[in-house]
Amino acid sequence: MDKKRLSSLMPAAALVLGTALSGSVLAKGPALEEGHEYMVVANYPNNMHVIDLQSDSLYKSCELPDAFGPGVTQMAPDGKTAYILNNHYEDIYGVNLDNCEVTFHAAMSLQQNERTKAIFSFAISADGKELYAVQNPTMLNRDHYRVQPSRLAVYDTSAGLNAKPVRTFPSPRQVTVMQTGEDGTLYMAGAEIYKVDVKTGDVDVAIPSRSWQRPLYAPPDVLNAWPIQSPSKDFTILYTTAKFQDETYNLDTADWIYGFMNVNLETGETQTTDFGPITEIYFSGILSPKDPNIVYGVLNRLAKYDIEKKELVAAAELDHSYYCIASNHEGSKIYLAGTFNDVAVYDADTLEKLGNIPLPGGDMAISTSQVFIR
Amino acid sequence: MKTTILKPFGGGLLALAVALATQSAQAASEAEKIIQDNCLACHSEQGESQWSRISHQRKTPEGWLMTIARMQVMHGLKISDEDRRTLVKYLADRQGLAPSETEGARYALERRLNTSESFDSQNFTEMCARCHSGARVMLQRRPASEWEHLVHFHLGQWPTTEFQALARDRDWLDLALNKMVPELAETLPMDSAAWEQWQQQAEAPVAGEWTLAGHMPGKGAFNARMSVTSAQGEDEYSLTLTGQYADGSALKGKGQAVVYTGYEWRANVEIDGQVMRQVFALKEGQLSGRMFLRDKDEVGADVVAARDAAGVSHILALQPAYIKAGSEADITIVGSGLSGLPVLGKGVDVIEVISESSSLIKVRARAAGDASGVMTPSVGSTEGGRFAVYDRIASVKVVPEFAVARVGGNGGSTPKVEARFEAEAWAAGADGKSGTADDYRIGMVPATWSVAPFDEVAEADRDVHFSGRMNSATGVFTPAAAGPNPERRMMTNNAGNLKVQATVQDGADTHSAEGQMIVTVQRWNNPPIP
Repeated sequence: MDKKRLSSLMPAAALVLGTALSGSVLAKGPALEEGHEYMVVANYPNNMHVIDLQSDSLYKSCELPDAFGPGVTQMAPDGKTAYILNNHYEDIYGVNLDNCEVTFHAAMSLQQNERTKAIFSFAISADGKELYAVQNPTMLNRDHYRVQPSRLAVYDTSAGLNAKPVRTFPSPRQVTVMQTGEDGTLYMAGAEIYKVDVKTGDVDVAIPSRSWQRPLYAPPDVLNAWPIQSPSKDFTILYTTAKFQDETYNLDTADWIYGFMNVNLETGETQTTDFGPITEIYFSGILSPKDPNIVYGVLNRLAKYDIEKKELVAAAELDHSYYCIASNHEGSKIYLAGTFNDVAVYDADTLEKLGNIPLPGGDMAISTSQVFIR
Repeated sequence: MKTTILKPFGGGLLALAVALATQSAQAASEAEKIIQDNCLACHSEQGESQWSRISHQRKTPEGWLMTIARMQVMHGLKISDEDRRTLVKYLADRQGLAPSETEGARYALERRLNTSESFDSQNFTEMCARCHSGARVMLQRRPASEWEHLVHFHLGQWPTTEFQALARDRDWLDLALNKMVPELAETLPMDSAAWEQWQQQAEAPVAGEWTLAGHMPGKGAFNARMSVTSAQGEDEYSLTLTGQYADGSALKGKGQAVVYTGYEWRANVEIDGQVMRQVFALKEGQLSGRMFLRDKDEVGADVVAARDAAGVSHILALQPAYIKAGSEADITIVGSGLSGLPVLGKGVDVIEVISESSSLIKVRARAAGDASGVMTPSVGSTEGGRFAVYDRIASVKVVPEFAVARVGGNGGSTPKVEARFEAEAWAAGADGKSGTADDYRIGMVPATWSVAPFDEVAEADRDVHFSGRMNSATGVFTPAAAGPNPERRMMTNNAGNLKVQATVQDGADTHSAEGQMIVTVQRWNNPPIP
């Protein structure tokens, strides 16, 4: 390999870092404009960026406390407070995007000697008054650890910087992304897509996943680290599975299938829908806000499927991998974030590339991007 | 450990034996003081020389080293390197593994990182060997309570363990606690007859003169004499190494060795300005294992060694270990205590003894035109070694069949990891048909090497161009530099998926063979046991 060419990347990296420094002058920056459409996303070392989707340019950047990671975000329904799970999965912060002030902070660990992580698992109630987190505590005893049962902790979002749960309930283990329905129901992705009554802690199955009973189907594999708050109010979870030809369950002749489970957060309606054969992996996917028959997926390509026909209708080659997908409310543009420090913009119909939005700072890694209207 | 058991020494040596035993008791009390002074902030005393957690596990020296290093990295232990060495020695001696308990897993200690593991237990494969080598587990012994602690530690320390592929599809914690803990406690128990018996064994002698025979991919066969003398600490030795490679170049070095658990020989030997690590097991007067560059462990050699002892003779190796029927060649017999007439096998005449010592006999041999098969040579009354006579090469294999090279360097913290290949020639056997039961291995033969795209993706991504370079003469593949490469599709790393092709010339016949090599990214986490 040509060493010189590789090391010639270094000045470019320095340039990007230089931009980061001048970018931080924007910290606290202007308030958001009422009715405008924005996107929020976080990156290393401690940034939360607001992108103006009218101009597809960086609007402002806020500095975050403590360590970065994973940078999972959730927007409050008022379009003003962005919540972020950070500090190595151990703390959730609320940031007022108008003035960059941290207005909410909850440590997931609730007692001394307890180390607790939330694995992408938090959500905000539809009225913005409560925050829900599934927490995985471990007791760090003197000469041994003890993993504790997972719990659902409910916080009052007005509790300030030392927020403690107002209610806690036992939770299934292995819960990742979560969203809330208009009626207050909490939906959580785990072994099943659960629905939880946040008043009583009662857990029910909204969509069977590990236990699904679909004749000739293998149980699905579900990876989900991006709780995307979609403009269409869909909670969409991609799955991969195998469909066998017959009862011999021969994997060699099985069809390998991509699909999604979906909860309509306005109506509570659920579906489990195959949308195409597996030809490549997508880390995240989103239903088109303007055409419910279209689903997009992204990792190494941006792909667009016709759900009814179960067909790939378009795919765009990318400059590099992107993890997290978002759409504007109109459904005309697709935004790709995660990895590196640029957001790529694509035409939602043609998948033609419209541009890149460079961000100050480093890698977005697995941060969630969220599109919202202030 | 058994170092306190007196050996059946004669009168003159008794004083030395007593001195050694005293030294051993001193070392133990020193180690116990280190534990008392450094470990009791977290560990509890449980009677004399017994501590919570510590006293309920058995491991290899590398296993104990990793445990103490983890205490430093994760739990704030401050300890000097010297005290750590004392503790590793004490713990490996007192709570080690019997030789038989390491069988089948020594490749991990020997840093044979191209080993493809396979286990009968699907649970074990998916629950343990999914993230690290299964050998790391196979080289530990614990009671159920300690395996249970290990499960809690794993999930507590790496909380995403239960969310990953092959974990998120099952009730991971329940399976780990209620299936894996009993399975591990049964198959890898704290108490074992093998360990009981091993502790009763008399200590085997180490100091003295040894003969080594080895083979290093990319360099070839070598032999050497190793002189081992007792050094100051318990089971510590100084050593010098003097020998030569088959190509005539010298092999010279000196270093230090420690014997753990009565048989685990670990030495650092400086050879040509580079430190080579010896990971050998001592068994029945012989050492065997692997010697590799400490800081580049893919470069290494298989080694066997025998100690000079009165009335004992071993044939360790023949170099080269094959001859073509109807031809003449110089053959070196490597061993210890060699004396008497060298015989290479049926149809092979020793026409001249070129040189002779108790460790090396060099002969001129002639194989008859109709000679064939695998011979067990002899020197005097000693039989051993393996010598193949073949009329023609019937097939060739690339060894290893599958290997991993890693990009590195380029300003990063992790160096490149090369891959090294050899061509193994096979004869067809009496039936003249290749691929049948009577095929026999001839040995490693010279080849011309190249790489090619493994599949269409590799071809489209130009992996051959980007991933590195194969040395056509040596079979050593040097991977490319680390980091995103703007010239590649999606700025990807110089990773690649390559066919490894060997061409072997045997008279007018040309043989081809193929292996596979993945060139991948750096191994960021590289503990002593992978």
